[in-house]
Amino acid sequence: MELFDNLLMGLSTAVQLKNLGFCLIGVLIGTAIGVLPGIGPIPTIALLLPFTFGMEPAGAMIMLAGIFYGAQYGGSTTAILVNVPGETSSVVTCLDGHQMARQGRAGTALAIAAISSFFAGTVATVVIALLSVPLAALALKFTAVEYFSLLVLGLIAAVVLAHGSVARSLSMVFLGLLLGLIGIDVSSGAARMTFGVPELSDGIDFVPVAMGMFGLAEIIANLERPSERRVVSQKVRDLIPSRADLRAAFPAMVRGTALGSALGVLPGGGAALPPFSSYALEKKLAKDPSRFGHGAIEGVAGPEAANNAGAQTSFIPLLTLGIPANALMALMIGALMMQGIQPGPQIMREQPQLVWGVIASMWVGNLMLLVINLPLIGLWVSMLKIPYRLLFPAIVLFCCIGTYGIANSLFNVWLMLGCAAVGYLFIKVGVEPAPLLLGLVLGPQLEENFRRAMLLSEGDFSIFLSRPISAGLLAVVVVVLLAMLSPAIVRRRREALAE
Amino acid sequence: MTRHALDWRDLILGLFLVVVAAGALWMTRMLPVGSAADMGTGYMPRVVSLALLGFGLFFLLRGARHAGEAIEPVLIRPVLAVLLAVGVFALTAERLGLAIASVLTVVLAGFATRETKPLESIGFAVLLSGLAALLFIKVLALPVPLWPR
Repeated sequence: MELFDNLLMGLSTAVQLKNLGFCLIGVLIGTAIGVLPGIGPIPTIALLLPFTFGMEPAGAMIMLAGIFYGAQYGGSTTAILVNVPGETSSVVTCLDGHQMARQGRAGTALAIAAISSFFAGTVATVVIALLSVPLAALALKFTAVEYFSLLVLGLIAAVVLAHGSVARSLSMVFLGLLLGLIGIDVSSGAARMTFGVPELSDGIDFVPVAMGMFGLAEIIANLERPSERRVVSQKVRDLIPSRADLRAAFPAMVRGTALGSALGVLPGGGAALPPFSSYALEKKLAKDPSRFGHGAIEGVAGPEAANNAGAQTSFIPLLTLGIPANALMALMIGALMMQGIQPGPQIMREQPQLVWGVIASMWVGNLMLLVINLPLIGLWVSMLKIPYRLLFPAIVLFCCIGTYGIANSLFNVWLMLGCAAVGYLFIKVGVEPAPLLLGLVLGPQLEENFRRAMLLSEGDFSIFLSRPISAGLLAVVVVVLLAMLSPAIVRRRREALAE
Repeated sequence: MTRHALDWRDLILGLFLVVVAAGALWMTRMLPVGSAADMGTGYMPRVVSLALLGFGLFFLLRGARHAGEAIEPVLIRPVLAVLLAVGVFALTAERLGLAIASVLTVVLAGFATRETKPLESIGFAVLLSGLAALLFIKVLALPVPLWPR
């Protein structure tokens, strides 16, 4: 069985003592920032990228991945205890999770959330392992033509599944592409839009962009809202759920996992969309939908399973095709490139230890989260008592030092400053910056493959349609875009995204 | 309540995109564009900027024709304080060293909200500065001076 061989090989990487350590550090940091509202995994991972320079690629990826799914666990803790989502993905958990806490069942809610997440994480690990091999094999047949079409599909789908207006998000993709073009052109050596700044000749670093737009701009916007945070001050007990609770939660867990795994693989997927869909599904299936919003255990189990499954399966496009499904995966690609590894279909064959190590570490990490999370609940609760007035200056400082640390350049700090200002403008005019980051990261690849495809066909654009795989991918793009224009779907999408 | 005949969010975004696209087009005007079969350095910048220009004009038109959601009021205090804090870090980190730059950054950032208490903020800044020095200079060997040179 190739699958088990692969997983075993991965496990042997993941359980090396130092990798276990990195995994533990990752999930602990992830949980901590997940618990804290106002700081998400994107700036955290951007911040920690410079530290991964000296690490082995496997250790670095294991730690960064741990931060991502650890944040999903942490986010639900805050949602249940404070009724504030620690992460966007745990917005739905507030609805029933916090109600359970108010009925004195905080322990049960936390335990069910953790168990659902662990269950989903385990299944998602297997899903990744199952899907990765055939997808990577398919991807190896890709030439520049197919790859270009795939990149287009990835970018468009990310836009469609993102929040907000499609036209706005599309324009952000193009803005990102434009930023990605800055620097010295690889094939001609000519400088493009570098303003004569030597730091720009290698292109724009995406870390300052990510930290400015996701970290600092968010802080500024957060400060405009009045701060209010009430922690449920009851003692958290009954951490072991009763058999009846488990029985009620289990079907929701399974459905949430399936839904999350499927939605996570889609480009633009990730941890944000699945919990909403799962909550809607559970409510629809319930015999008595009126219980939802008043502490229904399925309303915690389903979405929690869905967000964790989605968080993990969103690694599939990254690991097999080298295409990030969302802004966070774009950062992961950046981390790989910093390690000198070119992401793409060949990565599975050339770096099996790395890829399978990361996959196996997700299961190990989920196990760690289950074991450490519940006993440490007191620590997380006390972290919530850190006032934002102390938290945000610390984040600002670490963003500055972290950005400086990537290339020891103050230019990057200025760049981050500019991006923070632009990011704030974007928040004010209601644009999501995530598509921009995708465009920025994928831009150079898109140009490279487009050029190669055009060389191959001697400038004939029809090559994208005459190759079957490429034509199929582009057909999906067209269908998706047309669907977005149809008024009925526009309305439904708006309803679906508006919680 | 004043009625918004214009969608300011669209207008501002459109204007921003048009300016960026025009700037990019102007800056890349000397680069050879080439043809699809043999693309020059300027091909992709031209295509992408033109698309961006299109989006910008579209938003401008749309914003001028429909009323839209009002923009939430901008509070100048957090914007200024956070951006200033970052700018001061960029100006001082290599000259005055990490220790002083960190204290300045944290204290300045604290001005972003009225909730900040001066004494607490300064104490916390010194603490963070120490932590940062320990972590980034001792442990991670970041090549930045600790004290003024």
